[in-house]
Amino acid sequence: MAYPGGATNVTETSGMVLEIQRMSTEDGPGLRTTLFLKGCSLRCRWCHNPESIKATPQPRWTQARCLGCGLCVSACGAGALSLGGDGVSIDRSRCRACGACAAECPAAAMELWGTRRDSAALAAELLKDEAYFGDDGGVTVSGGEACLQAPFVRDLLSRLREAGVGTAIDTCGMCSPEQFEAACEHADLILYDLKDSDPERHARNVGGSLEAIRDNFRLAVAMVAGSESPGGRRKRLWVRTPVIPGMTDSAENVRGIARFLASEARGRVERWELCAFNNLCSGKYRSLGGAWELEGAPLKSASEMGALVGAAVSEGWPADKVRWTGMTRDES
Amino acid sequence: MQERAIERPGTKAGIKRPANLSPRVLGLRDYYFEGAGRAWNNQQISFTDGAPWDVVYNECNYHIVPETYAFFQTFTTSYMQVAERVEPGEGFWETSLPERRAWFNKKVMLDRLPQEILPGDLLAGGRFNIHTSLCLDKAQTKKREKILYGKAGLRHDAIAFHNHGFGNAGPTAGHLIPDYGRVLRHGFKAIDAELDALYEALSDAERAGGQGAQLRAMKTACSMPRELAARYRDEALRLAALEEDPAREGELRRMADNLARVPWEGARDLWEAVQSLWLTHMLVMSDENYPGPGVSFGNLDRMLEPFWEESKAAGMTRDFAKEILGCFWVHANTAYDSMIRIGNQGITAGFGQLFNLSGLGPGGVDMTSDATYLLLEVIDDMSPILEPKPNLRLHRGSPEALLDKAVDMIASSQGAPFLLNFDERSMAGMMRESRLAGVGGLIREDNVHEYASVGCLENTMVGNDRSGTVDCNLNLLKAVELALGNGMPLVPHTDAVTGVTEKPVRQGPATGDPRGFKGFEEFWEAYAEQTRSIVKAIVDLYERGDRLRAAMHPTPYLSALVRGCAAKGKDITQGGPELNFVTIEAVTFATTVDSLLAVRYLVFEKRACSMDELVSALKDNWVGHEVLQARARNQAPKYGRDDDEADAMARRVMELWTAETWKYETGTTGRRFRPGMLSWNYWVGDGFILPASPDGRPKDQFLSNAICPSNGADLNGPTANANSVGKALGGRAAKGEAGDWGGYLNVLPNGASHTISFNPALIKKPENKAKFKAFLRGYAENGGTALQVNMLDPEVLRDAQRRPAEYRHLLVRVTGYNAYFTSIGKELQDEVIARISHEKL
Ligand code: SF4
Ligand code: SF4
Repeated sequence: MAYPGGATNVTETSGMVLEIQRMSTEDGPGLRTTLFLKGCSLRCRWCHNPESIKATPQPRWTQARCLGCGLCVSACGAGALSLGGDGVSIDRSRCRACGACAAECPAAAMELWGTRRDSAALAAELLKDEAYFGDDGGVTVSGGEACLQAPFVRDLLSRLREAGVGTAIDTCGMCSPEQFEAACEHADLILYDLKDSDPERHARNVGGSLEAIRDNFRLAVAMVAGSESPGGRRKRLWVRTPVIPGMTDSAENVRGIARFLASEARGRVERWELCAFNNLCSGKYRSLGGAWELEGAPLKSASEMGALVGAAVSEGWPADKVRWTGMTRDES
Repeated sequence: MQERAIERPGTKAGIKRPANLSPRVLGLRDYYFEGAGRAWNNQQISFTDGAPWDVVYNECNYHIVPETYAFFQTFTTSYMQVAERVEPGEGFWETSLPERRAWFNKKVMLDRLPQEILPGDLLAGGRFNIHTSLCLDKAQTKKREKILYGKAGLRHDAIAFHNHGFGNAGPTAGHLIPDYGRVLRHGFKAIDAELDALYEALSDAERAGGQGAQLRAMKTACSMPRELAARYRDEALRLAALEEDPAREGELRRMADNLARVPWEGARDLWEAVQSLWLTHMLVMSDENYPGPGVSFGNLDRMLEPFWEESKAAGMTRDFAKEILGCFWVHANTAYDSMIRIGNQGITAGFGQLFNLSGLGPGGVDMTSDATYLLLEVIDDMSPILEPKPNLRLHRGSPEALLDKAVDMIASSQGAPFLLNFDERSMAGMMRESRLAGVGGLIREDNVHEYASVGCLENTMVGNDRSGTVDCNLNLLKAVELALGNGMPLVPHTDAVTGVTEKPVRQGPATGDPRGFKGFEEFWEAYAEQTRSIVKAIVDLYERGDRLRAAMHPTPYLSALVRGCAAKGKDITQGGPELNFVTIEAVTFATTVDSLLAVRYLVFEKRACSMDELVSALKDNWVGHEVLQARARNQAPKYGRDDDEADAMARRVMELWTAETWKYETGTTGRRFRPGMLSWNYWVGDGFILPASPDGRPKDQFLSNAICPSNGADLNGPTANANSVGKALGGRAAKGEAGDWGGYLNVLPNGASHTISFNPALIKKPENKAKFKAFLRGYAENGGTALQVNMLDPEVLRDAQRRPAEYRHLLVRVTGYNAYFTSIGKELQDEVIARISHEKL
């Protein structure tokens, strides 16, 4: 089965990497190094990381840094760049994603989003913060959608595990069951996104198949259950739900997810996080040459987030296993 | 609890108010903060011996404070004009210089400063800010003037050294930990008895010479605290007789009893111990005529713990213990009264009556005690307040409860609460010092855990060590400039006052025209040669000041408090201490490393420009070379990103200058030079002196601070930043090898100042506190010797900048010291704000 945006040329030992974020506090327990991969199988309208959607590299231009020197224009062999009054424009239909412009740009104004990296060298880099991981921290592989590069993720996580650090994968679950199983095989923690409980709304705002996502969630639960055998390495499962104004932020949606979890999670979900929408990514859309439909959308308030937590609890979800996180409106 | 999108500007949110203080301590604290409006204050008073040639302002203490250069002459004159005359006693001029100084200071402290006790105060010891006659005779004064003044005089040369971008040097006061523990346990009478015994053992010739004079001076000095305590005792009794409140009367009588004993005798409980400590300490500041410059207390919890246990057993409540300590805190802050009407940026921030808490003990045990927590509670209650400054010693085995408390305090106080020292890395540095300086009998595997920090984070041993930790401040970047200029300055110096541009003169050896260099190694050789030359230059300059101090500026009281001086019969200024070092603190480290990386990258690797173009660009201050400047900033590698190749350059720079430093010793006083990295505020001011640098920095932009990466260079966040710092210091020994200590390597025995700014959200969220603890534990493994955590919201700071009057109490940490934010000047304020925004957190 093919998925939209699926990474091409995935091999077991190399993958398409967007970036590495060290000392991350929001991608699982403890201090973590998070690896963001490029290429996603969903098309969430609110996507906070639009640069991670496409599976191939993309040049990005940041106006504030640009000197207007034109060196990128002359470096481009494809004639994709031009320098005008508004700065550099990128004709994405011509761009071959070679990165020559970024290599030449003196000001880091032109950068290339996406690099192919070898898993051995990458693992070494991800281990640089081992001393800070403590008992609970480690490495999280996030997307795009990590499972789309399953063989590579599997190899990478096995190397990290061998080195003795905790591993986690952050997934939306939109992939084949084989991909899912391979990618999660060496993950100690699965952070699973469940965004919407209504199939129609899901199709409209998220894309992909809610059923496929739910199937893989059942698979995740089974993998966690299977890891409970004596002597096995225990897996953990967290669920995350982005709370997006006008899309996923209804109490009805949260209750729907809660009902799904009640019937399918079999007590294996350790924690459910409701993640408040933030508006910090408008600039990313602009530098990709597009606009973001949520640009002016208001932040959630702390009380609204609290009410959603209440909605989950009202469906019988344990209060100590659900919390909200993220940035909220300033109400002082 | 939750992260906020925007901090509402104009609120004081995040600024901690003092909490849990007793009415007594709150009253004293509020009184203190009335500042210049107070009826009582510990203002500076000058006293002269009346000799027409007398001097009371000793500028040599300030040769390392460039902000004061312009005022040397004014201060010298004006301090003298307002000086009160003290009639020298009979035979004064027949005695030696140290004896005259000891007599004179004692006379002033006893008979010329009033002995006052503030309402409610539990400790005696009010006024101590004095400037006293240097007590030189006419011939000595003439000699001193000859050394100091004129075209080739020390003053001229020290200022020229600074103005040409080398840095600064001069022997200044403080920056050590006196042997307070001995006074607390055994009293001055033990020191006095030792002095008697040593004097007895001297031959007649020795008694007639310098040794005898020194011991007699120290003996006079030792009698001062006893007699001063008696005066304060009289005052306590006088007040008690007038007191209507029986409770207060009881306190005053108990204070009188305390003063009858300490500091002459050993203390028996916490109240006596703290009284003893305060009187002993404040007299050091009087003796040096310089309030509180890094005169530090050492491991205060270890020192007070037995006394606190005594008092607890005898029924003292925790609250009362905190009241005693709260009074101590207020007293320590009265050091600032000396500047109360000046508000000078450089000086007000320069104090640092530091103390350490917790840390490793013998055999790897953790030394956290109830006294540790008691002191932490006092810090918490009193904060924000500048003095005394805490520095918490952490190590691999630090207890969770201690880390919890530390993180809570970091989270709840505005700005960071205090400095953290990391024992394993620090002790590795001290053991390396022991080995390289051949002082294995004094710094050993079994006592290195007794080390403590002075001033901010400068590691020394306790009670027997003066390492001159702020005396020599060297701009490593000067060697890059001279390598590029073949020993000549890149841009001729223009005097800021006269506007006259001088003819360029040779400032370093001719190391070859860099335009002819075939590869980076040739450039490196030139840089190395210039580094050797600037290290020698600072050693030579310092030697002149050190020799002058040894001959003319004795401090016999302080000498009595430092082991080694009595036995050698030498003043502390003459090399008396058992451990006898002076520290070169390297400034501009990251700017230097990044500049070398940029030369290699731009000229030799990528060939983005020729050496000729680079030199022209620097001479033009990058104007007209913007593309090249952008390449230097953005494309060239930088230290501070955990990039092994870039960090290898940092190691190489570090190895070179530290090895060079260890080669020298002062001539007269036999003090071995040792390396450290503390930049005080020089990295700000000297950025206006040093020309543009190859890393892309234009002139007038700040240099890098201490061991920190260049501002904005640490793109990979705090962990990468910390890893680079650890690597620059030496990293870890190969598996199974001991390294300098415990598998750690550290080329800087003094330690290195490292500041990281964190987004407050990181530790304000309760569930993130465990994550921040994990960071600290990781830092102990991979990082440097000391860490200063900045945690301020930029919005609060911007508001404080706009409305300083409303933020008088706002404390912020700038490099190794902290200061009231509103007092540090706009440039530093902007810098702090810029650093606050670690977007990745
Ligand atoms: S990535 Fe290559 S093809 Fe695309 S704009 Fe840059 S230089 Fe041109
Ligand atoms: S090379 Fe960089 S700085 Fe120059 S025009 Fe292109 S994007 Fe701008």
